[in-house]
Amino acid sequence: MKKVLSLVWTVSANAFAENVRNRFFTIFAVFAFAAIYASVLAGVMAVDQEARVLADFGLTLMELTALAYALFNASSVLLREAETKTIYLVFSRPVPRWAYLAGKLAGSLLTSALMLAVMGLMHLLLLKLRGFGVPPAYAWALFGSLLKLAVITSFAYFVSLFSTSAVSTLVISGIFWTAGHFAAETRFLAEQSAGAKSLALNAAIWLIPNLQLFNARDAAGFISPAAFLSAAAWTAGSYLGALWLVSRKEF
Amino acid sequence: MSQHAVSFSGVEKTYRRPRLLGAAYHTAVKDLSFEIPAGEVTGLLGLNGAGKTTIMKLICGLLFPDAGRVKVFGHAPSGSEAKAKVGFLPELPYFPPQVRPTQALEYYGRLSGLSGAALDAAVEAAMRKTGLEPHAGKRVSEFSKGMLQRLGLAQALLHSPDLLILDEPVSGLDPLAIHDIRQLLAAISAEGRTIFLSSHSISEVEKLCGRVFIMVRGRLERTVRKAEWEAAPGGLEAIFVEAVR
Repeated sequence: MKKVLSLVWTVSANAFAENVRNRFFTIFAVFAFAAIYASVLAGVMAVDQEARVLADFGLTLMELTALAYALFNASSVLLREAETKTIYLVFSRPVPRWAYLAGKLAGSLLTSALMLAVMGLMHLLLLKLRGFGVPPAYAWALFGSLLKLAVITSFAYFVSLFSTSAVSTLVISGIFWTAGHFAAETRFLAEQSAGAKSLALNAAIWLIPNLQLFNARDAAGFISPAAFLSAAAWTAGSYLGALWLVSRKEF
Repeated sequence: MSQHAVSFSGVEKTYRRPRLLGAAYHTAVKDLSFEIPAGEVTGLLGLNGAGKTTIMKLICGLLFPDAGRVKVFGHAPSGSEAKAKVGFLPELPYFPPQVRPTQALEYYGRLSGLSGAALDAAVEAAMRKTGLEPHAGKRVSEFSKGMLQRLGLAQALLHSPDLLILDEPVSGLDPLAIHDIRQLLAAISAEGRTIFLSSHSISEVEKLCGRVFIMVRGRLERTVRKAEWEAAPGGLEAIFVEAVR
């Protein structure tokens, strides 16, 4: 078991190093800095609500930037490894496919965590320069964003194994992420409707994760155990789906 | 150890390509049976689309046969027992351009189960054998095609595999690089390891192999031993041309 876990670690460390070396990571980091700076300008325009606008706007931009990178990475990484034949060098070795997939996913999540941490530090520095302290539930908000990224990244991995291109994976995962922020509205509409419409909406409630659970600052100021379990279940479900596909896939 | 490094028995592999309506099917290899004895250097010749790469991928467990049975040292190719004994060099191997050769080799060495001092020694030996030592400080982006091929060979040699599968090992290389790789493969063969290589270069196959399979449209058309082509007028080239025409 120790040997297989060491393989997972090797794949994840390599994936993380490749992601950090990737030029896109730098572009996203520059974009994040610019976006956070823009949030300061927006904060100035908010007059007496400046601290709140700065915090909320910055957190949203950080989440969207990390999401864009995570989706871009997750939708293309397996496809790229197959196209460049790098995957031949991995799967011709005694590397179980589950370990490879777990390593790749862990590498993507480590990258997302690093992005959020770096952007978070930039954001806090900008807040300090404006004379504000750390916003309430800030660490929980970042952790909630990371949980959302875990759910959406594993889902994008799953989709990338059957979709025809990276673009279609991006689109499907983007829709999934957007729909996940309208879970309460979907539930309300399901209760109000009847027949086939109700059936479809009830199915959507089960098939799409409630990503609002991870918005710590909208909830009690922390991530509840139920939210944590939900993230774990969705991530594990998507991983198992991806594993089922990758174990049958030929290269 | 099984006396056959590889055995194919009635193997068939058909590719399915989805189309707008239905799918297109292409049979890459059909009713294929052969054995590669352990310790031999065996070549695989054939025109483009003859099924050479498919055979190599089936041995490495990258493809699964639709019918028949493939065994590598008596084990299923997708199992870890077989994979631990195989080193694979695909055609035109790719390595991330920003890494140094030792970094790439350390990664693949770890995936082969090496660690610590054993990993360091394996990387050093693979770099030395493939003549990459003077280029250890360079990044892969600075490598020529020949150096990339050497690096590909180095990753295949890392874990001292009993069976080397080489898909076009001298493709696109300059004469000096071809000479060096030929010397290296001869040295590996002298250690008693099995080598199975595909190539479009008949002269290279003639120099390296003791036996050659000639594939024609997914079928094994002929098996030729060294003594046969050495005795034949026109050598292996004449036998190959006659077989594929």
